[in-house]
Order: sequence, then C-alpha cells, then structure tokens
Amino acid sequence: MKIDRRNFLSLGAGATAGLAFSPLPWKLMDDSSIWTQNWPWAPVPTDGEASYVDTVCSLCSGGCGITIRKIGDRVVKAEKKDSDNANSGICILGLSSPQLLYSPSRIKTPLKKVEDKWVKISVKQAVAEIAEKLKGLRKDKLSHTLACISGSSAGTVPALFERFLTAYGSPNFITVPSVKDIYKLVFSLTCGASCIPAFDIANSDFVVSFGTGLLDGWGNPAAAFKAHSILKDNKKQLIQIEPRLSNTAAKADKWLPIIPGTEGVLALGMANVIIGKQLYFNKNVLFDSVTEGFEEFKALVEKDYSLEAVSNITGIKQEDITALAEDFMKAQSPVALFGRGEGSTPGSLHEMMAVNFLNALAGNFNKTGGVYLLSEPDYINWTHPVLDDAAYYNINAKRLDGAGEGKYFLAKHLLNRLPEVVNSSKTSPINFLFVTDSNPFYTMADTKLVEEAFKKIPFIVSFSSYMDETASMADIILPNHFFLERYQDIVTTCGLKPAVGLSKPVVNPIFNTIHSGDAIISIAKALGGTIAESFPWDNYETCLQETLEAKKDVMDKELFWIDESGVSNAFADSSGKFEFINDKTRQTKPYIFVDAQGEKKKYPLTLIRFDSMRIASGYTANSPFMTKTVADTVIKENDIFIEINPKTAAEYNLAERSKALLTTPKGKAQVRVHLYEGIMPGIISMPSGLGHTGYDSYLTGKGININELIGQIEDPASGFDAAWGIRAVLARV
Amino acid sequence: MSKGSKHKVKKFGMVIDLDKCTGCGACMVACMSENNVPFKENESKKLDSITWMRVYKLENGKSFPEADICFLPRPCMHCEGDRGHAPCVSVCPAIATDYDHNTGIVSQIYTRCFGCRYCMAACPYHARYFNWRDPVWPEGMEKFLNPNVSPRMRGVVEKCSFCHHRYQLALDKAYAEGRDKIEEDEYQTACAHACPANAITFGDLNNKKHSVYRLKKNPNTFRLLERLGTNPKVYYHSSREWVRRAGDNYLKHEAAKA
Amino acid sequence: MDSALIPEGVKRCSLGRFSVWILALTAILLWGVIAMLLCWFKGLNQTNMNDAYGFALWIWADLAVIALGGGAFFTGFLKYIVGKDELKNIINYAVIIGVICYTSALLLLAIDVGQPLRSWFIFWHANVHSMLTEVAFCLSCYLVVLIIEFLPLLFENPKLDKKPFLRHLSHNMHEIMAVFAATGAFLSFFHQGSLGGVAGVLFGRPFAFREGVFIWPWTFFLFTWSAAACGPCFTILITRLTEKVTNKKLVKDNVVDLLAKISGWMLGTYIIAKIFDTWYWAAYTLPKQGFSLIDFYSNNPFYGIWILVAEIVICGIIPAAILISSGGRKNKRLFMTAIILAVIGVCINRWVMVLQTMAAPVMTFEGWFMYYPSWQEVATTILPVAYGAIFISFAYRYLPIFPQERELNPID
Repeated sequence: MKIDRRNFLSLGAGATAGLAFSPLPWKLMDDSSIWTQNWPWAPVPTDGEASYVDTVCSLCSGGCGITIRKIGDRVVKAEKKDSDNANSGICILGLSSPQLLYSPSRIKTPLKKVEDKWVKISVKQAVAEIAEKLKGLRKDKLSHTLACISGSSAGTVPALFERFLTAYGSPNFITVPSVKDIYKLVFSLTCGASCIPAFDIANSDFVVSFGTGLLDGWGNPAAAFKAHSILKDNKKQLIQIEPRLSNTAAKADKWLPIIPGTEGVLALGMANVIIGKQLYFNKNVLFDSVTEGFEEFKALVEKDYSLEAVSNITGIKQEDITALAEDFMKAQSPVALFGRGEGSTPGSLHEMMAVNFLNALAGNFNKTGGVYLLSEPDYINWTHPVLDDAAYYNINAKRLDGAGEGKYFLAKHLLNRLPEVVNSSKTSPINFLFVTDSNPFYTMADTKLVEEAFKKIPFIVSFSSYMDETASMADIILPNHFFLERYQDIVTTCGLKPAVGLSKPVVNPIFNTIHSGDAIISIAKALGGTIAESFPWDNYETCLQETLEAKKDVMDKELFWIDESGVSNAFADSSGKFEFINDKTRQTKPYIFVDAQGEKKKYPLTLIRFDSMRIASGYTANSPFMTKTVADTVIKENDIFIEINPKTAAEYNLAERSKALLTTPKGKAQVRVHLYEGIMPGIISMPSGLGHTGYDSYLTGKGININELIGQIEDPASGFDAAWGIRAVLARV
Repeated sequence: MSKGSKHKVKKFGMVIDLDKCTGCGACMVACMSENNVPFKENESKKLDSITWMRVYKLENGKSFPEADICFLPRPCMHCEGDRGHAPCVSVCPAIATDYDHNTGIVSQIYTRCFGCRYCMAACPYHARYFNWRDPVWPEGMEKFLNPNVSPRMRGVVEKCSFCHHRYQLALDKAYAEGRDKIEEDEYQTACAHACPANAITFGDLNNKKHSVYRLKKNPNTFRLLERLGTNPKVYYHSSREWVRRAGDNYLKHEAAKA
Repeated sequence: MDSALIPEGVKRCSLGRFSVWILALTAILLWGVIAMLLCWFKGLNQTNMNDAYGFALWIWADLAVIALGGGAFFTGFLKYIVGKDELKNIINYAVIIGVICYTSALLLLAIDVGQPLRSWFIFWHANVHSMLTEVAFCLSCYLVVLIIEFLPLLFENPKLDKKPFLRHLSHNMHEIMAVFAATGAFLSFFHQGSLGGVAGVLFGRPFAFREGVFIWPWTFFLFTWSAAACGPCFTILITRLTEKVTNKKLVKDNVVDLLAKISGWMLGTYIIAKIFDTWYWAAYTLPKQGFSLIDFYSNNPFYGIWILVAEIVICGIIPAAILISSGGRKNKRLFMTAIILAVIGVCINRWVMVLQTMAAPVMTFEGWFMYYPSWQEVATTILPVAYGAIFISFAYRYLPIFPQERELNPID
C-alpha cells in the first residue's frame, strides 16, 4: 500500500482511536500515579525492631531522665521517661537529641589544623601530638601555663580534667560560671557552711521571682515547668519582677515591671517594709535566736531604703511595694527566687543576697515550700593524684584568673577575667588550653575581647562534638561522643533538688569520636611518670564503675540517685544562725548593685538579653527543629529583631520591621524592630543564643550573638561577671 | 447501632491548659520528630513552614504595663462538625481526608491527595499544610526518620493526625498481650506526652474515666471558633477572660461565652 | 497559499501577515508554557501561594473564565430552547469562546494541583459531597458538549466540508444541536452553581459562607445567573474586539442588541438578588458568628468597602441600567462601557469569593493575609489568553464563524 498523506492521516487517526480504547492509556495513568506515590528521591525510613532505652540527658545542666526510641540501631525519638521521679522530663532541647546526634555539624573524626585547614588525623595521632607538646611545656617548667575551660565542675569527667591539671602541675582549671556559683556564695556566706539551695517552688504558696526565668530555661526547665504547673493546680501565686513581659511574667499572676538592675534595691525596700511593720513576727520566729547581724541590717535598710527612695529607683509604686511585702509575709510558705533569666550569667552578689534576705525574714529555710539548704553530691572519692616535684611546685603557682585571692577571695573560678588577663600580658600566660564541654568563645560576653585572647593562646585543644565557634579556633579537635553514645555521670544542682544521674550509651558511636574521659586518660598515659600513675584506670568506663560502685544498684534501676540526705551542714559553723551581716560580708560592703555600662547621654536606651526555651544559648546550640519554632518576629531570614516599646520606637521613628543600627559601647549591629507592648519604654531586648558562626547551614549566620554587643562588668563583691545589659542607641537605617 | 456498641465509639480529643502552657515549643518539636515533618534552612517564612502543631502567641492588645500575652498550641482540631462533617472532610474531592467515626480522628491519606488544597481553604485554623517542595533531609539525618509515619512527597497536604500511628501501636501491643482495651496512658499524642508543663491532656472525650472528660467541663474551658459550627475536639482552658474571648469572634458589645 | 482552507466569499489577510501575528502570540504563549513547565517540574514553590493561600490567582482565573465562558451555554439556551433565532449569528462565536474558556480552566487546574498525575483521582475516588467533584464532573462533561457543539462548525471548513462523511455528520449534528444545547445548559446550571458552592459551603470561612437558603439555592443561583448575565457580555466584548482587529463588521447590531438587552435584564435581576444576599449575610449570618460587615473591609491595605461598591454598584447596577434601557444600548460609548463593566463585575465577584475569602482572618489572633502572584502565576494565567487569541485567529481565518460576515462585507 502506498502511503500518501491521506491514508497516513487516516492511519494516525485510527491508531489514536485504537490506543484510546486499549488499556494502555489507563495503565499509563495508573502507573504514573503509583510512581508519584513512590518517588525515588523521597526517603523511606528503614523498618526494624523497636526498642526503648532509658538514659539521662546532658544537653543542659538539667539532667532529665529520658527514654530513647530506637528502630534497629537507629535513634528515632527522644521522649520523657515515664516515671514519678522529679527528674524525669524532657524539654525542647532534649527532644531534639536525635537531630543533634545525626547533625551535619558533628565532628566526625579528630582534626588537626594545618595552615588554617583541617586535616583528619587518628585518635592515636592526636593524643600523641598533644602529649608531645605537653611534655615540652613541662620540660620548660611551664606546666602552670596549661589551662582548662570546662563546662561544669561536677561529675567524673570534669574531675578527671582537674585531676590531670593537678598531676601535670597547673592550678588553672576553670569552669564556665553560672548563677549556681552565686547561689553557692550567697548561702555559704550567710548560712555558715558550704551548701546549695533547692527552692521548693511546687509546694510554695507565694513565689516572688526577681527576674528568674522559671519558665524561660532556669534550672532544670522540665522540672521547673512541672513545679509551676503544680503551683497553678494549687491556685498559688507567682509574682514576676522584671522589665520585660517574659514567658514567665506572662504566666505569673502578677507582673511588676522594674527598672533593670534595681531588683536588689526593691528587695531591700521590701525588707524595710517588713521590718518597719514587724511582719516577721507573724512568722512566729524568735528572730534573735536564729539570726545574726539583724540590728545592723535593720539600720541599713531603714537608712537607705525608704519606700520613697526605693520607689523612685525601681520605678515601682510605693503601694505595690508595700502590698508585695505584706503578701509575701502573709503567705504560709513564701519563697523569693533570684538569678536572672536562665541563669547563664552569675550576676551581682549583693543583689542576690538582698533577695535572699527576704527568705530569711520569712524564715523559710529548710521548710516545705521554702528553700532547702543541701550539701552538694559528694561521691567522687579518688585517691589524691600523685605529684612529682615539677607538679608540686607549679600547682601552687598563682591562678591566672586570680580567683580565691585578694579581692577575689570569694570566687573559685573566674573565667570572665581570663580574656583581660591574656590580653594585658605581652605573651599569653596560657600556652596550652583545653576546652571541654563548653563553647566559651561564643558564650562569653564581649566577643571582640574574647577573640583577641583566644587568638593569642598558642595552642588550643577542643573536645567538642560540634564544629562550634571555639572548636573552629582550636589547633586540634578530639571530638567527644554525643551523650547518646557515652557513659557519664550527670550532676544536677540547679536550684532544685540535687541529683546524680547516669547517662548511658544508647547507640554505638556513629563517628570516629572519643569519650573525653578516655581522651584525658590516654593523654595522661602518654605523658607517663606520675601523671600516668595518677590515672590508674584502664579507661573511663572502669573509672566510672569504680566511682559509682556504692550507688550502682540505685543508678542501674532508677537512672538517678537523689541526694535526700537533706542538710546539710548549713548553720553548723560559727554562730549557727542565719547571718544578715558578718565579718566576711562586711568585707564586700558597701552594697553596690551593678549598673549597665555606657554613658546615659550617648546611649539613652538600655539593651537587655532575654532567654528563650526555643533558642539554646549555651554549649549546645539549636537543632533545626528548634530554630523552626522561633517566631518570625525574632528571626526573619537572617535578620534578628529587637523588642522595643512602641512609644520608644516612635521617638526613634521606627515602625514594625524597620531596620535599625544598634550601637552599644561594645559594638554595632544591624537589627530589625519588633514593637512589643510587653517591654518597658527605654529598654530594648534581644534574644541570646543566635548569631552563630559555627555549626551548619540551619543555624549559621542567623541573627546576632548578643555577646558581641554586651561587655562584662566585674561584680565588685565577687569578681564574677554581673552584667545584665548595656546602654545602647538605635538609629533608623 | 445498638446501645452496647455505642460505648465503644471513641472520640479522642484534647484539653490544653493555657494557664500552664509556657510557650516553650516542646510540643512542636515532639510532633515534628514523631511525624517526620521536614525542615529547611530558612523556616522564618511561616506561611511556608510545616508545623502540624503550632504555638500561637496571643496579645491582649493593651499598652505597657497592662500588656499580656498567652501562648496557644494549635494542633488539628479534628472537627466533628455536624455528625462528622468537618469543614475539610466534606470538601475533599478525592476522599483523601476522612472522619473516622470510631475514633473521631480526621485522617489524611498522602498518597490519595492530589494537592487541590480545597481543604486548606476550608480550614479556619490554618491547621493544614501543603508540601510546596520536595522534603530534603541532609545526609545522615534521614536516620532518625520514624518508620511508623511515611514521609510526604511534594504536592500533597498534610496535617496533625493525633498521632494515629501511636494508637495503632498501642492497639497492637494490647492485642499481643491478649487485651481488647487500651488504657488512657497507652495512647498519648507525641505533643501531649512531651509537654513538660503537662498542659496538654489527651484522651477519649466519651470516656468518663479519662481526664479530658472531666477537664472539658470546666467553666473556663472553650474551643476555638465554636460559633462557626466546626465542633472541634480540642478544648482550651484559661482563667483569663481576654484569652477566652480571643478564642472566638464576638461583636463589640457582645459578652463572651460564659 | 492557504486559500483552499479559507471559507468562500470572505476576505482574509495575507498568510505572511497572519504568520507574524501568530508568532507574536506564540511568544507570549511560550512564556506561559515555560512557567507552566517550571510549576510542573519544580513544584508549586514557583508560585507565591502559601499555607494561607491554598487558593489564589489560578482558582480565581478558573472561576472567572468559566463565568465568562457562560456565554456559550446561555446563548445556546436562548437560541435553541427559548427560540431567539437571531442569535444563530453569534452562537458560533459564543461556542468557540466557551471552548477556549473551558479548556483554559482545565489547563489551569492541571497546573494548580500539586500532583497533576493523580488528578484523575477526582473521578476515580470521587467524593460526592465535594463541590469540587461536582464541578469536575460537570465541567468535563460540559466541555465534551461544547466540543460537540463546535465540531459541526469545524467541519464547515471548505477542505473538511468536501468529505462527504464529515458533511453529513455536520448536517446531522446541526439537526440535533438543540439536544446538546439543552444538555449544555443543564450541565452549566449545575457546575456554575457548584462553583458558587465551592466558596459558599466553607462554613469555616465566614466571608464566603452562606447559610440555609442562601447557600442552596441562592448562591448556586447567583453564580449561574451572573455567568448567564456576564458571559454573553464577554461574547459581545470579544466580538467587538474581533471586529476592531479585523476592521470589519461581523455581527449585525440587532443581534448584539438583543443579546445585550437580555444580559441587562439578567444582570439587573442578578444584582438585586446579590444585594439581598449581601444584606442577609451582613445583617444575620455574620453577627451570629461574631462578625460585622466592616470586619471584612477594614484593617488591611487592600480590601476596603470600595471593592463591594465596585462589584455591586459600579459593575452591577450601572451596567444593568444601561443595558436595560434602549437609549443606553444605542449610545455606542455607554454600551461598550456597560459591557466592560459587567465583565469586570463578574471578575471582581469571583476574585473576592476566592481571594478575599483567603485573606480575611478568622481566628481573632491572626491578621489579614496579603498576597501577590509570582511571575510564574501571572505567565500561566496569561497563557490561556494567548492560547485563546491563537485559537480565535485560526478559527476566524479558516471557519465560517459569522454567518453575516459575507452580507456585511461583500467582496467586490
């Protein structure tokens, strides 16, 4: 048949019609749909046997008991451990642990910096190189120039590091300070013995919080939330005093906005009301028999803290102060909380003491709903490290941070002083630095100063699991296992009942990482001599087993061992009474409440930081899920928002979302403006925990690190950083 | 339906105590982690950010210092509407979303959905989310994906399922143990289980023994947009009048529901 | 060159000129096609739609073209059922415009859905309660009817007409066209109404929701009625536009006048019903849900009360009044103004029913959601316009669309 145009067309038409009535199009239609339902690029989670493993979360100092859901050898979910134990709970950070375990910013193998580039090395090689360097330092009699910054001082891992420094011959073991240090100081100074407080919030009927972020990350967040919910169930009162309507203030029965930095003044003003009206008699307490220095204290508050003066300074109405003082004393079991926000900055000693005087006036120590004074868990009973002459000589060298001596006699560690000490010497007084369980380059105030100091330190070894800001500055990184991959004892002493928990490995390490405990033991062994002798354990696990031998049963079953021994030895020393004023506290006088840095004229506004549960601001940084929960009035694209009262914004001609240049005595940053009626006019606030330069593309470059804008202010009484903000100015861009 | 079998009909729901909710966001992350919700580098475009559970921040509109805020977690309301006619269910042209009369759960079948988004237009709570793009898990992170929930492909709508798979798992477990009933605490949504403040209570609204049955009767309890007739199964509790009023629309001089 | 294809007795421009014109339109078409492919291959992240705007520009365009394409069913209804025989002079064109509108609507829907390859689920897994299912079924059926109505015209092409089979088929189809016209009208009454139901049944969206009789039959009626009123206006508008482009008179004034007069009465009655609907909604439905009318026309940068005035008064009452009065129809300028206003009016109505419905906050703690389309959305929405222009160009060139063309434009 000849194919011409005509029958070609007919053929075509026929074929089309034929195909249309054949099953082919229908089959294709169906197949294409099935294809869309099984797109090869959409992941299909591999199935496997489900199992549940209990462990203790160590992503913050809260140490919650959690349960990990596993499928095969994969971690798929972190959940609250179902238990009545007060420490069983989970927060947004703990819930993120599967994401953090598999995070792209994990450091996958030991690294060494060669000409500013990271080179992969083996664990063995890293340990050998570190030991070699340390040997040289020791040979030059410079062992005291080894320093260690540790995220915590409690538990076996920090103890191993501290032990290493001692055996090596350095006094410079420094921990990252927090409000816990101030708590210890406040009570040690006034109660005559070393003790830590446990605020019994759940059983209180009147909680007055002087800016404490009870619901913004303070203490153990999950436990604090639970305590707050019990307060609500029992219809008890929470009063929040702070310049910003924080999440805690929003949940409070009353929010009293106060001019920041004057919280201590308010507390003393309330004390004046209480003393003036003799309200403490209602407490049925024979005051003289349980307190010391009361008359002197009374004279002080009567003289300097009249209602009128306090009202003027704090910006709170006189009648509100009186009512608050009266309500506080009328309550059955009132408690006053102190320590700002989540408590990552220690704060002013005098301010904390002033607030705690209210607890003393209410006579609520060691009473239900009050403040329990407890001893710190003390279960590490190792033999003393063996010291050779070199170590013995240098261990008694002066601490670089000056803690424990002269005007810093109260403090044990003063990390905040380190940058200045390093920067003010010609060559760095630290030749070698260990950084473990912390990210000081990011978390310390005054980033520029800190950067200068870190750059000056010749050799830094980081034990971080993540490529954080400090790890980026290191010379060698010996990445720690993630907490789901390791054993560790977790000590929780953060304003709630102290507990020791045991973190257990849930999965085998997924990368070529090494437990920091094992790392330090290996380094010690590589150094040989008395240093190696001081570490008789084969590895960290045996060390931990030995240490916890006595408590093994409890911990194996319960995960936790809670120190219920109660007090403690509080009030055991000297007078045996609560001492309002004593010889030691007299040395720290006069009462000075730390003001913000900067000239008021040049910087008419005050910048304060706020902490948010949705933004982790410590050593652990945000997971992608957490960042996803952050509001678009906090972060939009990469821009950070500051909160400002609409009235103040109008003065600066700023509208919602306007761009502005924020300048403080410490730095400048471009920000956006979010109008918020919940902030005091004249105050601007910025979230902590943003502006990372390390980590991964889900976090890097989002916002500004507030530490770049805020400086440190040394508390004249304690030497700790007491800065709560800084003066600032805004300009429309 | 006989009277005997009527008791077996469950109506799962929630009571969320806004006095306790701290706005911490744990429920959101618990949900995302449980349900393989995807995430991107930039999640600040909130109208393109999948959050089955979303915590809203309510403001009372007053000036400093009378300003007040309240957080309000918003899962899918699993509206019952009028006898199961949820706003979204009746509009879906392909029965990709359905009201289960045995549980009261509004389901979503991702492989059935062809992405017309009519359900999103229908939902006044903005509880439904569209996959505007292919979900991507960075290398290694696909390891934490939960095999009980299938990850969604681009072009389909997804939403809170009251963690229906957890109900299935609980039933399976009970069956394996020879029980025909599950206890209240055996089936809890990921958000309710995670809430550190215990603000979210989940259970069978029909079951007198379940906490939700009692809690929903509190006079300070309300539901969102009740006046529209959506008949949601998520109840809220607040002791603050302005919060309760914010739960629905009222004319200026109209009093809020007592 | 293509003279064999051109109907007898009419004059068409040169093939060269025609090609240039088609090429220009094709360029626009290609722009739309590129955007369409982007949407298909990269996904709907190419649009500015979001979780608050699941329905946006495309759904509006869908509703609008279906309303404007309503000229086909209503003219057919008038001619074949009511017996307005003069309308045979415009019915062909109405059908062509209808075909364009309805195919465009389906194309837009195919781009709009997130999983186009599964779109047949709407038929296979049909939910009979869903307005969209009803729309999909009626729309598809009606499109088949429209194509059947169009086929005889296609077969009148001189080349095709030479085939005896097609000529007979065409003739026989003409005979029974009344049946198809009736079917078309019946289907249209359904899907036009259902389209009204699409927004009207959303009881979670107080802006769109109508209760009781105001949803059924009222809203259904409003949508069908407005399509019947404004669809013919669009047919007239396109006819006049074609006359302008071709520089020829193609349809006699009395035909247009008749259609316009009927449209005027339709529009007038529609707008009365619409006012009644709006009044009941504002006075009774909204307050029950805790809203007042002004809530939907304030606190946002775009949707003011002006849009209600524009829809009802300026694009409703005014064109209706002009088209009803014979004076108004006689005044050329007034007449065209009325026709254009009516077309805009129905477009505004469809716009607010889709976009304002999405924009208005329902939960008290949410604000208005504002939206502007991305270029991909705009390009894909213009695509049907280019496609329609090309379709019309070919149809006009090769088919005897206008029975009065020869008489009105005798070739010397």
